[in-house]
Parts: sequence; C-alpha cells; structure tokens
Amino acid sequence: MKRREQLWAYLFIASPILGFLLFAFIPLSYSVYVSFTDYSGYKTPVLNGGDNYVNLVHDELFWKTLGNTIYSALSIPIGMICSLGLATALNQKIRGIRFFRTLFFLPTISSVIALTLLWKWIFNDTYGLLNHLLEVVGINGPAWLSSERWAMPAMIIQGVWSGLGINLVLYLAALQGVPRSFYEAAEMDGANAWQRFRSITIPCISPTTLYILITSIIGALQDYPRFQIMTEGGPNYSTTTIVYYLFQNAFRYMNMGFASAMAWILGIIILVITLLNFYFSRRWVHYE
Amino acid sequence: MKLSKRNFGKGMLVSLSLAMMIGGLIGCGSKESSGNTPVADGQVTIQFAGWGDPSEKEVFTNLIKSFEEKNPTIKVNYLHIPSGDYVGKMNTILAGGDAPDVFYVPDGDFGRWVSQDLIMPIDDMVKNSNIDTADMWESGLSRYRYDGSAIGQGKLYALPKDIGPHVLFYNKDLFTKMNVPFPSAETPMTMEQLLDTAQKLTISKNGKTTQYGMGPVWWEDFVLANGGKFLSDNKQEFVGNSEETVHALQFAADLTNKYGVVPSSAALKDLNDSEMFKTGKLAMMVTGRWMVPEFRKLGFDWDVAPLTGNDWGGISGSVGLGIYSKTKNVEAAYKLVEYLGGPEGQKEQSLMGFSIPSFKSMASTDVFLQPGQKPEHAEVFIKAVEKEEAGPWTVLPNAKWYDLLSQGLAPMWEGKKSAADVLNDLKPKIDAAIKEGNPALFK
Repeated sequence: MKRREQLWAYLFIASPILGFLLFAFIPLSYSVYVSFTDYSGYKTPVLNGGDNYVNLVHDELFWKTLGNTIYSALSIPIGMICSLGLATALNQKIRGIRFFRTLFFLPTISSVIALTLLWKWIFNDTYGLLNHLLEVVGINGPAWLSSERWAMPAMIIQGVWSGLGINLVLYLAALQGVPRSFYEAAEMDGANAWQRFRSITIPCISPTTLYILITSIIGALQDYPRFQIMTEGGPNYSTTTIVYYLFQNAFRYMNMGFASAMAWILGIIILVITLLNFYFSRRWVHYE
Repeated sequence: MKLSKRNFGKGMLVSLSLAMMIGGLIGCGSKESSGNTPVADGQVTIQFAGWGDPSEKEVFTNLIKSFEEKNPTIKVNYLHIPSGDYVGKMNTILAGGDAPDVFYVPDGDFGRWVSQDLIMPIDDMVKNSNIDTADMWESGLSRYRYDGSAIGQGKLYALPKDIGPHVLFYNKDLFTKMNVPFPSAETPMTMEQLLDTAQKLTISKNGKTTQYGMGPVWWEDFVLANGGKFLSDNKQEFVGNSEETVHALQFAADLTNKYGVVPSSAALKDLNDSEMFKTGKLAMMVTGRWMVPEFRKLGFDWDVAPLTGNDWGGISGSVGLGIYSKTKNVEAAYKLVEYLGGPEGQKEQSLMGFSIPSFKSMASTDVFLQPGQKPEHAEVFIKAVEKEEAGPWTVLPNAKWYDLLSQGLAPMWEGKKSAADVLNDLKPKIDAAIKEGNPALFK
C-alpha cells in the first residue's frame, strides 16, 4: 500500500515537473545556446562563440541602460518608505478606513496601459495636471517626459505610485500581526511612540520588508512596458531600461543571439542581488 | 480491488490533472490553422492579415467579398489585427513559421522581413498580370525592392496598398481672421516665408501661447525638403552632419525654442496634434491624406499646400501587400495582392477619401480629386507623392542607426546643443551601427 501511495504522489508531482521542463527548462537551455549564435529569430542559428558577450561588454548602450535600470530602482526605497508610512496611518482606528484601503489599492488592479496613458497626461508640460499644480505654488515645472534630466525622475514618481497599493496591503497585514502585548510592555517601560516603532514594529515586520525588497528589485530590473508607452525610452535613451533595450535588440534589430546573451547577464545579476539580499537579511530580518 | 471512495477521489484528481496537462500540451502544440489546405473541388482558402480602423476594416471586408465573387475558387480569411499590436504579433507568427498567405508589410519593417526571406519576390507574377507598373508612383514601388543589401533596387517583393505623402494642412478660417494670405498650392514656401506666416498666426499672452502658427515638426520632412540627406548614396555612411541637414534641423528646433511658433514636442506628443488642429489651436500642421475623412467633418474651412522647402521634397509613408514566402497557394495569394493593389482595390480605397491611388492615371480622375469636397487643392497630394521619398527608417534592414539618430537629437530639441554639434557627435556612433547591423551592405 505504501508503494501505491508513493506512486500516486509521483503522479501528482509529475504534472508541475513536466510543465516546468517543457515550458521553462527547455526554453531556458535553448536560450543559452542561442546566446552563443547569430540567431535572428527566423533563420537557422549559426554558432559564433562568445561574440555576443564580447559585443555586449563593448556596447555603450548596454551599460547606459543598465545604469538607467539601477537609477529607476530608486523607486524601491522611496516606495517602501511611503507605503510603510501609509500603512501605519491606515492601521489606526480612523473613520472611512475601508475607503482609503480601496483607494490605495486601486492602481494595483487597474490596467498598466490605461494608467500609463493617464500619467502621460499628468506629466504633459503644457497641459498636464502636475505642472498646473506646481504653477499654483509658484513653481515653473519642467518638460517632464521630454527632458533628459526629468524623464527618469518622472518615471520614478509613477513607479512609486503604482507600487504603493500592493506594498501597502502587505505592510498592513504585517502590522496587524505584531502582538499587542509587545507594545503594552514597552509602554509600561516608558517607551515613546518612536521608540516603539523603531524597536518593535520595524523588527517585527522585517520578514515582510525582505519580501517586498526582493520582489521589488526583481520587478524593477525587468520593468519596461510603461517606459515603452510613456517615453519610448527617450529622450536620448535616458529612460531605456535594460529589458526595453533587450526587447529592441530581439524584435527590432533581429539580434536574438545578442538579446539572449543580455537576458542571461541580467538573470545572473538578479540572482546575485537576490542571494546577497538573503545573505545580509540574516542581520536584520527577525523571524518569530 | 474495489474502487473505494478515497481512491475514486484520487483517480478523479489524477485524471483531471492529466487532462489539464495534456490539454495544455495540445493547446500549445497544435498550429493555428491558417486554412491553406486545398479543398476537394479545387477551392482554396487563403488567409490575409492586416490592421486598420473600423472604416478600413469595412472597406477591406467589402473588397474581399467582391474578390471572392470574382474568384469563386478562392476563399479569403481576413485576420484583422489591431494596428498597435500588428508588428509584434506578426513577428511572433512569422517566427513560428506558419504565417498568413498575404499580409500588410509596413515599409519600415519591409527590410527586416525580406532580408530574413519571409516575403516572396513577385516580379514575374506582376509582369504576367494586368498591373501596369509604369503607371505607378516610383517611390511607392521602389521601397519594396531589395537586392540583398540595401532597399530601393533589385527584385520587387510587395505592391503598395497605399502611399501617403506629407502635405501642409491649414485652417483657412484662422488665416482669414488674422489677415494672412493663404499658402500657394503650386510653390512651396521657403523657410523664411514659413516662419513669417507662422509668427503672424501665433497668439501669445503673458508668455502663454493660446494659438500656434504650426503643428508637429516632422524633422525628416524638413531635411529632405531642404535638399538634405541622411545616408550616402551607397547607404554605408551617415551624412546627416552635412550643411543642408544641419541647417534644416536647426531651423526645425528653432521654430520651438527660439521663435515659439510650434509647440514643444512634449506638448504635442501627448495632446494629439490633430486634436489641436481640429480645435483651432494650430493654424497649420503636417500630415497625410488619411486625415481627410475626419477633417471633412470639421466646422471650419481648410485646405492643403506643399511642404516648406525647395522642390516638393519630404517623406511619404506606405504599407505594402506581401506574400508569405512559404505559402502553399502562391497563385491565389497573388490574385488577392493583384486585386487589392491593382486598379479595383485602389479605386475603392480612394473613394473612401483616405488614400491616394497607386496609379497615376487614376489619381488625376474624380475617383481621387473628388470635386466639391475638401480639400480644394487635392492635386497637391499628387505633386507631393511624385517627389517625396520613403522615410529614412525604411532604407536599411536594420534600423538601429535611425533609433540612435532620433534618440540622439534630444539635446537639440531641448535647445541645449546646436544641431551641428549633436550631429557631429552622433556620426561615429551611427556609422558603427550601420556597419554592425547591416553586414550584407558591406560585402
């Protein structure tokens, strides 16, 4: 009977494993092979050694777009601070709490395309909402999306805003899981609000912080559709992220081999960052 | 062994997960039927892919219907793909190796697709059919020729579905109101005349412009109309830092930065320029024939004039009709291309008001000129189509050089650098991209 049960178990896990092999492992291995060829996407690939990797290192735009991606990741710390602040505020017993929770979660469930088009209008230098508001307080706003200096900050603002909802919900859940008794004890010892927040709340929610950090970094490194719609990577490649450049190489310059090489370098970067994150997390993440 | 309740549940689960798995596999493995299998009685079904707004979809649905009536042995499946997704979707379908028999080929993607052997040469078929290529606009045809390295010569791979030259549209009512003479329909304005006209039509109050003299600057138009060039004749070198090109681009940038008669590109990009024209915020704008049906609904009078510069230069857009290189129904596919790109198809499209027939003889008839309907000087389109060229993004199979150029112009549009500096800085990078991306050109 035990054997039979084992057999069943294997049958059950066969489905996801086969799925993984077919739809992830085989394509992934193929892309390693492609990264060593001159594959255009249509014709038969021909091996060209490590040419793609060599070209990649010498490609100015690769480094520039990698830099842009790291710059755009500034939205992660800003977004985390904002969502933690909002979550703390929403964790209080205030009126209309459900309304605010829904309000902040709305961007998460709306279409990326629609939101991006909306933000395009917000950032319009002549007719946009943002410059209109700035004008009210006496500031002459920049041409957000068409200025090399301001296009990325604009994209960061939009990134922070669009990531707020999901992070807020995660933080709210984490905040509600912090045991009341900890606060009560601290209060009796005379700890003020800030001390309680710093010494109880932050350590208690640190697993959530780690989760948000890792998923946000991976998300930021792979971000591109909103850049494609809002700025087309411009002006002067100032908002071309690495995945957007990868996409252009694959589908616009028919250089699938080069794009695959780029994808693998990006994959390794993501892996290293995530491992480092886990490694250092031991120092600041506290599990119960 | 009896089938116990527990086991039954397990069995159900297993068969369910197996069914899901197998279903998934079949779903992915089975090819999307393109229906190109001949039917018993000699009838063939071909697939045709294109994009277009609802009115274009309607025109093509009707055209296909009448094509099928005339060719009872051929059935056409019309695959309508939204224009924004078209190239991306076609790239995937083409890479999958089972594409529609006939499909739209945007002139900017033509080079890439043909250099990858995805489109079939049609010279011989055209010669043996009733299409008179001598009566067609040269630039419409030549952009679909490819000789293995550069575009513009060699074998013909597609017939133009349409050709759309750029012209200057202007709001006659605004001109009259502000006492500015109409632009001539025969002689293009010089740059100085354009600036002067645009300045007279611009209204600013306390630094806020409520009415602009002119709309979007198609910088490629300015360059070509000023006798400038982007690439050398053998297409191996970027010559955009020559005097004419630099001068034209500097002028285009100055229209916004120095004279303030054209809204900044940012303002335009997001607030559709034709919307601004329609609401009377732009006195002039550059666009093509496709806007005519919409502008005919406007409450003010308007007309068309040539682009600025000498000798009617500028760029025209086009979409071609190509045949998939691996189609099993070459004959039927060509029949459809011949019908849509030939006199009958062209006539129907022109009557709708949004396109110019590919045939010179037809363009000079009422089919296109449509007397009594705006614009009054429809012949401007015809003179323009004869002189205007395909856009610079079409001339090489790999367009990275062009992306480098259009991205790299940013400091000039921002007014931070002169056109000369920007273009000189870009030259070595662009030259490298031409060489790297188009090896066939240097063989």
